[in-house]
Amino acid sequence: MLTRISYALRETWVSFRRNITLTGAAVVTSAVSLLLVGSTFLIQRAFDNLLTRWKGDVELIVYVRSDADATQIEVIKGALESQASIIDVAKLRYLNQAESYAEAEKLFAGDPGTLRLLTPANIPSQFKVVPISQDSNLIRELGEQFRNIPGVREVAYAQDVFDVVARVSQFIRVATTVMSIVLLVVAVGLIWNTVRTAMFARRREIEVMKLVGATNWFIRIPFMLEGLLQGVIGGVLSCLGLWGLNTAWSGAVADFNDTELAALVVTDGYMRFVMVILLLIGAIAGAVGSGIAASRFLDV
Amino acid sequence: MIRLDNVTKTYGLEAPAVRDASFEIAKGEFIFMVGPSGSGKSTLLRLINRQEQPERGEVWVAGQNINEIAESKVPYLRRNLGNIFQDYKLLLNKTVSENVAFALEVIGRPKHVIAQQVPAVLDLVGLADKGDRFPHQLSGGEQQRVSIARAFVNRPLILLADEPTGNLDPATGEGIMRLLERINTTGTTVVMATHDQRIVNMMRRRVVQLDRGVIVRDQERGVYD
Repeated sequence: MLTRISYALRETWVSFRRNITLTGAAVVTSAVSLLLVGSTFLIQRAFDNLLTRWKGDVELIVYVRSDADATQIEVIKGALESQASIIDVAKLRYLNQAESYAEAEKLFAGDPGTLRLLTPANIPSQFKVVPISQDSNLIRELGEQFRNIPGVREVAYAQDVFDVVARVSQFIRVATTVMSIVLLVVAVGLIWNTVRTAMFARRREIEVMKLVGATNWFIRIPFMLEGLLQGVIGGVLSCLGLWGLNTAWSGAVADFNDTELAALVVTDGYMRFVMVILLLIGAIAGAVGSGIAASRFLDV
Repeated sequence: MIRLDNVTKTYGLEAPAVRDASFEIAKGEFIFMVGPSGSGKSTLLRLINRQEQPERGEVWVAGQNINEIAESKVPYLRRNLGNIFQDYKLLLNKTVSENVAFALEVIGRPKHVIAQQVPAVLDLVGLADKGDRFPHQLSGGEQQRVSIARAFVNRPLILLADEPTGNLDPATGEGIMRLLERINTTGTTVVMATHDQRIVNMMRRRVVQLDRGVIVRDQERGVYD
């Protein structure tokens, strides 16, 4: 058993080094494609953060002062519910201060300074309003009436951010997803080709191995490990690249603290999750590419 | 040990390489397959180690119908068969010892077994002092001895030799034959395809003659023709 393992590892390494140009190309391609996959994840997450306030067709948010008492909140709620012709009362949601704080953690992910000033005690609670009417003027008119009700701190309209951002985010999502899929296919193809070349270079050895009775798996495993290694190295490089990109981006966003851009930042936990995903995809791509090659070219 | 029943093998659309061949080889026998190039000698050997599958007929090796065993079992069949070729098929980047050890290594034999058996078999083929040489530093006859050592190191039941003296001068060829004869006396069955008349006539062993894929003669203690 030990002989077999050491054999497989030795052969993998020898073959990996022998073909350095092709190996390099395969590794770089998988790194670049995985970097794009990772960026897609992060961009989507960032836009989700940005739009999180408006999830579920919310068009209007009425923010309630943190010092408003229960009666004032009831009054606001009653006023909203009385507008059944304009808003969907069934979907009217009240986020108390704890819930609003959880939302703010996403919203101000890139703006720890602001986030530090907020606590579940001083944050405004909010009413999320889903309208029935499509008429945005009507909604705006309604919103303006609430500005003067005691206890209301602020009124925000989805229209102000939503349309542009939603459209941009949709476009970027589709574009990056398509590009990363294409590049992933290319990476698998390159790994396939590298392994095929490695096998061709060693066809004499493979022929002898088959004739003396080596099993197909014994012959195949070093080549599959080689592909796997390429995929994993690509994955590691892409993680480093992604980490660098995200750090640079977060730094740049920090300069625009007071704007909506602050939400376009991804926090460490999600970043780690994406890195694990990238390593996994890299490993799978490498194993698949080399596995196909090793099976197809074993009939030497 | 080996039995072929009405075996026919065709490559593509050509006339059959082997047609309706039947014969039996007993354990410990030494047998020549003779005939001109393209008469089907090599195909017969390839059928016996299951590099080829027949369209019709059955090939039995060591009590198994080898056309019915699973693809995954083929490697274990081959461990009972040693192969020797006209062009040696040595790995040029490995030394003599490494070439022989390779055959044991890839079937998962432990290191101490390899360390023990490789020198023993090199001694048997007369290359005890050349284990560290590379193939290009050896003569043709020596390279063929390495390939015999590699084929025999696992003590197979059967040795399949395809024109083993084809690239060698007569004297060297005779040396190889004496080595094969010696291996044969250990109980290993030897099947050798050749068109080397001189050697066949010298050895006086069983001769199976092929002509365009058909067995035209099967003779004990035969000569080339």
